[in-house]
Amino acid sequence: MSSVEVNKSQPSPGPTDVVSPVRNNKEKRGVAGYLFVSGYFLLLVLFGVAPTLYALYLAFTSSGGHFVGLSNFINTGKDFRFLPAFENIGEYLGIWLASLIVIVLGLALMLHSLARRVSAAFRFIFYLPGALAGAASVLVWLFMLDPSVSPWKFVLSGFNFHNLGQTIQPSHLPLIFAIIAFWAGAGGWIVVTYGALNNIPNELLEAASLDGAGVWKTALRIKLPLIKKWIAFMLILAFAAGTQLFVEPTLVSEASLGLISPAWSPNELAYVFAFQNNNFQYAAAISVDLLILGLMCAAVLVFRTKLFEVE
Amino acid sequence: MKIFNRLWTKTLGFIVLLAFTAFFIVPVIWLLLAPTKTDHQLIFGNPFSFGSFHNLAHAIRVTFTYQDYALLTWVKNSAIYSFGGIAIALVASIPAGYALAFTNFIGRRTLLGITLFVMIMPATALVLPLFLEANAVHAIGSPISVILPFSFFPFGVYLSYIFYSSSVPRDLLNAARIDGCNEWNVFRKIALPLARPVVALVAFFAFVANWNNFFLPFVMLPSNSNYPLPIGLQDLLSSTPAFNPGIGGDVPILRPELAVATIVAMAPVLIVFLFAQRSLVSGMLAGATKE
Amino acid sequence: MSPVYLDKLTKIYPNGYEAVHDFDLEVKDGELMVLVGPSGCGKTTVMRMVAGLERITRGTLRFDDKVMNDVSPKDRDIAMVFQNYALYPHMTVGENIGFALSMRKLPKSEVRKKVKETAEILGLEEWIDRKPGQLSGGQRQRVAMGRAIVREPKVFLMDEPLSNLDAKLRVQMRAEVTRIQRRVGVSTIYVTHDQVEAMTMGDRVAVMRDGHLQQCAKPQEVYDNPVNIFVAGFMGSPSMNLFEATLNENADVLTLGSQTLKLPASVLALKPALKKYANSRVVVGIRPESLNAPGPQTQKGDDDVSLEGEVDLVEALGSELLVHFSTDAVRVEAEGAVSEDAEGLDAGLIAQRGAGVARVEPGAQVTLGGKTTFSLNPSRLYFFDSSTGLSIVE
Repeated sequence: MSSVEVNKSQPSPGPTDVVSPVRNNKEKRGVAGYLFVSGYFLLLVLFGVAPTLYALYLAFTSSGGHFVGLSNFINTGKDFRFLPAFENIGEYLGIWLASLIVIVLGLALMLHSLARRVSAAFRFIFYLPGALAGAASVLVWLFMLDPSVSPWKFVLSGFNFHNLGQTIQPSHLPLIFAIIAFWAGAGGWIVVTYGALNNIPNELLEAASLDGAGVWKTALRIKLPLIKKWIAFMLILAFAAGTQLFVEPTLVSEASLGLISPAWSPNELAYVFAFQNNNFQYAAAISVDLLILGLMCAAVLVFRTKLFEVE
Repeated sequence: MKIFNRLWTKTLGFIVLLAFTAFFIVPVIWLLLAPTKTDHQLIFGNPFSFGSFHNLAHAIRVTFTYQDYALLTWVKNSAIYSFGGIAIALVASIPAGYALAFTNFIGRRTLLGITLFVMIMPATALVLPLFLEANAVHAIGSPISVILPFSFFPFGVYLSYIFYSSSVPRDLLNAARIDGCNEWNVFRKIALPLARPVVALVAFFAFVANWNNFFLPFVMLPSNSNYPLPIGLQDLLSSTPAFNPGIGGDVPILRPELAVATIVAMAPVLIVFLFAQRSLVSGMLAGATKE
Repeated sequence: MSPVYLDKLTKIYPNGYEAVHDFDLEVKDGELMVLVGPSGCGKTTVMRMVAGLERITRGTLRFDDKVMNDVSPKDRDIAMVFQNYALYPHMTVGENIGFALSMRKLPKSEVRKKVKETAEILGLEEWIDRKPGQLSGGQRQRVAMGRAIVREPKVFLMDEPLSNLDAKLRVQMRAEVTRIQRRVGVSTIYVTHDQVEAMTMGDRVAVMRDGHLQQCAKPQEVYDNPVNIFVAGFMGSPSMNLFEATLNENADVLTLGSQTLKLPASVLALKPALKKYANSRVVVGIRPESLNAPGPQTQKGDDDVSLEGEVDLVEALGSELLVHFSTDAVRVEAEGAVSEDAEGLDAGLIAQRGAGVARVEPGAQVTLGGKTTFSLNPSRLYFFDSSTGLSIVE
């Protein structure tokens, strides 16, 4: 909407300005710059900056609009569901990040040592479940975890799980969500890591093998150190996204017959405050907590890894 | 001994790869086969058998006609929200990336920095603040409350910026200026046509993100007729006796029907993946610069 | 088609760096003016100021009698050939050539006609529907030329247009660009770092260094009468040999290291100012081709003087020999004067004290490691003030 107006406000290529000398064409280019970013800038202000500021405002005020300092943060922190929610995602993140480091890197290194064609086929298969990200992936995994229909029946019964309730009991959830996240997300990271490995010049690997490094040594001493920026990139993004867990616990608790708390993750807790208690101040306080977590991740990524080009 | 060792490592590696292949692909295969079977067959039959076309047709019919073609409404809503968001995101982000790469204005570096930050931050972190904002201006329940936040897509701006600053030489734009273009025409006639690959890339990423988005429409759109597919799936899940044995005995949505709905929800993204695999991959790598 | 006047043009960047200083130049109607100098000398900045791509800090730019300082590039009626051609990759050859015309709202039929004519002039007819990506380097260069000439602009600007071509094609295109420029007769500023291009293509040559104009004259004039050591060293390949020397009290005997050269009266008559340098130091310049080695075809003039050197290296080019020798005189390097693709001088072994180069006939008798006595006509010696570097004339 806003952007369409931008187009209209561009100087039209009228024949009149062909003859008239224009003062200072560099400055004119500067003006054009403002016009070109204006649409995006408007969106950024309305849907990036404004909600953040409004959430901050709510988080520091009472329902009557009075400044209350940190009391919203303190009160939500004292809520009996607050710590468990963060513990839950902490546990989930531990499993998910560990599997990223061990399995994703391992698989990427393995694929990198295969012929290009073969590895391309594997990469595609690994990547495919990414299409089912979100609600669809949870639904698929509810089937996979239901011992009555799962193709993994034999595995589940090996653990003595005979109905869905047994598989998705609360203590299993961090692992289950990590498996779902891995199933839908690991392929993308394998592809990225593989791409980073491919960027390593061949001469370097040849030099290493001439120096007497075997497959393992080359992987550990040459390949991994060279892609450590990408590993950091992967871990930080996965961590940032993981703190925001919402759809998975929401859908699984839907199928759990009330076995699982509707405030399993911090985002869910904020949702419960907003929608069930009508306490927007508390919801805002938890949102601000999560925003700060996200911002810290972004800051680390931008300032420490220098992975992104800003000039 | 050494040769034996190497052979052993190789075999082990291959077994690991095959195991993970099974892990990734079995759920997909199971899902694609599920609608061809009855609920009973799903429980007692071979999980990888094909049922019958009759069952498939039945499951499709039941799923689509359920609640007066609610599934089609959800598909339509998903399409409107996704493509509306993509369209505005493109109109806003391609010129913005161009301006960040080639023009000099006060605050350019700041804007670039903020873009980077917001891009890395998970979009979910802004959902509740967005809800609070929309609630304050009484926009809850309106499709706009989903489409406009979708169209704020900093990753698209960054992709466009990287594309322009790395693959369009400044002299090309200078040549156009000398050939008689004003600043708008330099963009319209030269920079925009050249951006075709990055337009596709931004559209793909925005599409995947919008289509699968659950949380934002979940808080913004409380009414069934406004649901996009992911919320629709959740609605089905909450009313099916397959997962809620106690309730809704008369709801015809069983496992095969749920599978149909899931396939409908994932099909567009899967098609995009199949046709745009290469550009998606290159885009994921282009998100950050080469080392 | 109009003359271009640059009056005290100055460019100072926001960081304070002065890229061009008080630059005066007049490009006559239809003239091909070559701006030449080592990289970083400001020649491209001058051209970009003329194009309007770079803001002029101080000074006046006029086309004919119209001041252009604040006219935007699109309104200057100029055409430019860029170093990397800057062809629009999404347009065909024909669309590239016709783009400027259609931006000027010419009727489609006329654009088509002009594009066709231009393509014929450049031999591009069969490529007209191709995209630039499908063309060879030489063809792209031609399209870039076509895009410039189809406009019939007031001024052509060419920024090192041949530097991306391989050596053979460059020689061929050199002649072609000159031919096309003569044919369309548009005032042209041609920027290059290659002094061979400057010599062969320019009606006149403007030599630049560190943002300052050194000399602007016909190529032969610049070669024969360089105003200072820098120009002397820059123009010509191999470069002029420059040595420190002293004149005796009568200014008729020159001492280079341990060698003395007797200057005949004719030299002093030609350059009376040399008298002022009696008993003092000068820089003496000798073009490599002025040195003759003993050989069957060598004719020795009556006034010829000799210069002895030890031969370090002989490069046989077929048509001539480049003899690198060393003397005990002190060699003078004009800073930045060595053209980027100057031949020969990069070999470490000859960059020693008193090194020089002679360009002699292939039959000349020189032995590697031995001493050779070169003869030269003293009237072909150049003299420069050793503190200012200016040429000593009259």
